[in-house]
Amino acid sequence: MPDSLLTLTGVTKRFGALTALNAVSLDIAPGEIHCLLGENGAGKSTLCNVIFGIHPPDEGVMSLNGVPYRPAGPADALRLGIAMVHQHFSLVPDLTVVDNLLLGQARGILDRRACAVRVEELSAEYGLALAPFARIQDLSVGERQRVEIVKCLMRNPRLLVLDEPTAVLLPPEIAALIDVCRRVAARGCGVMLVTHKLAEIKSAATRATVLRGGKTVAVSSNPAEEIGVLVRAMIQRELGPLGHAAEAALGLSDPTPAEARAAERPHDIVAQIDGLSFLDSQGVKRLDNVTIEIGRGEIVGIAGVEGNGQSELSAILSGMLRPTGGLFSVQNTDLTGRGPHDVTAAGVGIVPEDRHAVGCVTAMSVAENMFLGRLRAFSRFGLLRRAAFHRAAADLMQRFDVRASGPGAAFSSLSGGNQQKAVLARELTLSNLAFLVAAQPTRGLDVGAVEAVYGHIREACRRGVGVLLISSELDELLAVADRIVVFYRGRIVGSCPASPAYRERIGVMMSGQPA
Amino acid sequence: MNRRYLPGPGILISVGAVVAAVLLGIVLIALIGVSIGDALDAFVDGTIGSAYAIAASVNRSVVFALVGIGFVFANRANLTNVGGEGQIALGGIAATAVALYGHVAELPLGLSFALPMLAAVAAGALWGGLAGILKTRAGTNEVISTLLLSFIAVWLLYWCVQSNALLRQPMTNSATLPESLEIPDLTKLPLVTADPSLPLNIGLPLTLLIAVIVAMFLTRGTVGLRLRAIGLNPLAARRAGIATERYAVAAMLMAGGLGGLAGALMLQGDQYVLKDGFSSGYGFDGLVVGLLARGSVTGVIASALLFGFLRSGGISMELQAGVPSAVVRIIQGIIVVALAGAVYWIDRRGTSR
Repeated sequence: MPDSLLTLTGVTKRFGALTALNAVSLDIAPGEIHCLLGENGAGKSTLCNVIFGIHPPDEGVMSLNGVPYRPAGPADALRLGIAMVHQHFSLVPDLTVVDNLLLGQARGILDRRACAVRVEELSAEYGLALAPFARIQDLSVGERQRVEIVKCLMRNPRLLVLDEPTAVLLPPEIAALIDVCRRVAARGCGVMLVTHKLAEIKSAATRATVLRGGKTVAVSSNPAEEIGVLVRAMIQRELGPLGHAAEAALGLSDPTPAEARAAERPHDIVAQIDGLSFLDSQGVKRLDNVTIEIGRGEIVGIAGVEGNGQSELSAILSGMLRPTGGLFSVQNTDLTGRGPHDVTAAGVGIVPEDRHAVGCVTAMSVAENMFLGRLRAFSRFGLLRRAAFHRAAADLMQRFDVRASGPGAAFSSLSGGNQQKAVLARELTLSNLAFLVAAQPTRGLDVGAVEAVYGHIREACRRGVGVLLISSELDELLAVADRIVVFYRGRIVGSCPASPAYRERIGVMMSGQPA
Repeated sequence: MNRRYLPGPGILISVGAVVAAVLLGIVLIALIGVSIGDALDAFVDGTIGSAYAIAASVNRSVVFALVGIGFVFANRANLTNVGGEGQIALGGIAATAVALYGHVAELPLGLSFALPMLAAVAAGALWGGLAGILKTRAGTNEVISTLLLSFIAVWLLYWCVQSNALLRQPMTNSATLPESLEIPDLTKLPLVTADPSLPLNIGLPLTLLIAVIVAMFLTRGTVGLRLRAIGLNPLAARRAGIATERYAVAAMLMAGGLGGLAGALMLQGDQYVLKDGFSSGYGFDGLVVGLLARGSVTGVIASALLFGFLRSGGISMELQAGVPSAVVRIIQGIIVVALAGAVYWIDRRGTSR
């Protein structure tokens, strides 16, 4: 047992009726990479925020190097040598790397040159390649993350907390990040790596703690060998019956080739995307001559780092955005530039990327969300037939296993997984569904829900629905899709069958090089 | 039964805000040096002291209620109509024009008074709809556009009563006032009862009918559901296939139309001549009534009654007890501030968990 750097004993944090953390105990030693595991909602982020001084714990004590640690805010945490990289970066896009680093740290006159020298030292020391005078807006997501890490390292921290750092990275960038973590740890700094992907633990972690429902449910000092135990603790079920997509979501298994699934498929084209382009109001080409054909019962996956035109594509296909060029048709009905109502009427189901912004009205009930677009079926003289309305909703909720207190429950009271199942229920029960566009359908969902979501999508495929699946989770695409099209800067870089054999190639294509 | 449609803590807090404001008002009256007893006597005389006073107060409330219902309707779609004043003015102009020069006085079946009202509704709807179109086509904030359109309407009315080519009565001598002729008797609104000491006109049952219908469609109708979706999340509403822009314009047409109708009731039920200062702040009070109601039509009726009686009592306090009518305005102001505070408090309590 190494000397402890940070020790948490019986930390409890409540938000109203919800106990986000329930008597969590944890210790982090200098020089170790401690992985914090857990599904969405397990309390990982809350724990980070408690450590970083954002939320004071309701019960329990923390000590840093044996001294009681009671931060009044992030400023205290930083002063005492605890640095954190949040899931959402806090960088000013218009400023350079150096200016961003000096923000909030420098007083009086800015010494940009000294800062640039320091950046270069740190870059060399930790293998974090960074150009000090590049503007943030010109950097990739991976590079921006490096800026955040450098921002932390400039303070010579004793503990570096990384909250879900790999979610936004390309596969090679993940490897580089883990390498950085190792180097940081090798200099005696403690690293806490928060993740829900087990593959990362295998390669990096010296120890791991698993949270479930706000409680510590497992601690392992040899995580690479005890993955099975950790998974069971994390999702509270055996690995056996886990669906393929779910395993892929955990980064546990290599997905099996898609060829078997694609064996006998009629080659009718359901949806045709022909030379679609989109110029935004600044004249930037967000989509550039994209052509994809989706066949009956086929799942076409769109891979790529986020922000490479996927959002624009799904917005155009759902009728929310008018393309500046090209055609989109479903079953020979031209839908180019038509509104959402027409798109739905033509049999296109949409699972929007941003559930809360576009997919639902969180302040309304489950039933209202399910049938907002189909109210006419439940109206008489303009008045809603509430009983029939709720019956129909209850029926859908049962078929799609949407767990809520009832059809009248507020949509916001549902968990992310149940919200997504409700959205799927709505979109998959369109009477003439022929084509489904699912953008990031499993984002923020726990493993069980991931499985359910893909189960429903596969079921729709068997009925002949063509699916366009947009996801930044390459492993999920490999597990679910039939073929994969890779996006980079709004263009299609290449495509290939969804087989793990192509993983490397896809990774290369995601960085913009045709393979 | 959905809890949303039952009076919740929101109503109680609104009532609390009003009570606190009235108490402050009494303190204010005392500070001015007017005897509280005299002031209260005058207030009672002007509000419930006689059948006539009650009827006059109710007729005022009806105007507030119409503007308030329109506000609540549009606000369901998260649109804020602050243009009641202008919509009333335009309604007044239209009703006067049709009543005086539309040859309607001899028409049967109540058309003599109904046609000027319809013209007023159309004119008010035009004014509201204009703001709706500006919002959906050009993205102009409807708070700004309805407010500015109000000024235009109020000055249009001024022009109408000043210009002989428009609605000003023929000049017979240099003392002829800048106002219209009195509208023909048959275009005035009939009374509900034959008793002239209780001059309640048909505006009251008409408004109650409108209130019931609007309340029903807002709480149980598909229109209400769609408007609510648009108000809560316009993107998701659009994605669900709702023609959000058309609904937004329609909601503003509705709000404006009710404002126009309020103008017709004021002209045909009470003032009978159109003159400068016709709308005299009724539109802005109606806006406050709508805000005070916190989205419920029942709440609109309650706060419209409050404001109607408050204004009657205020006029009476001014005439009988010498309390400046400004004090009543101040009380109304305090109500708005107290209410805004109460809303802030409710919201904070709701989210700080």
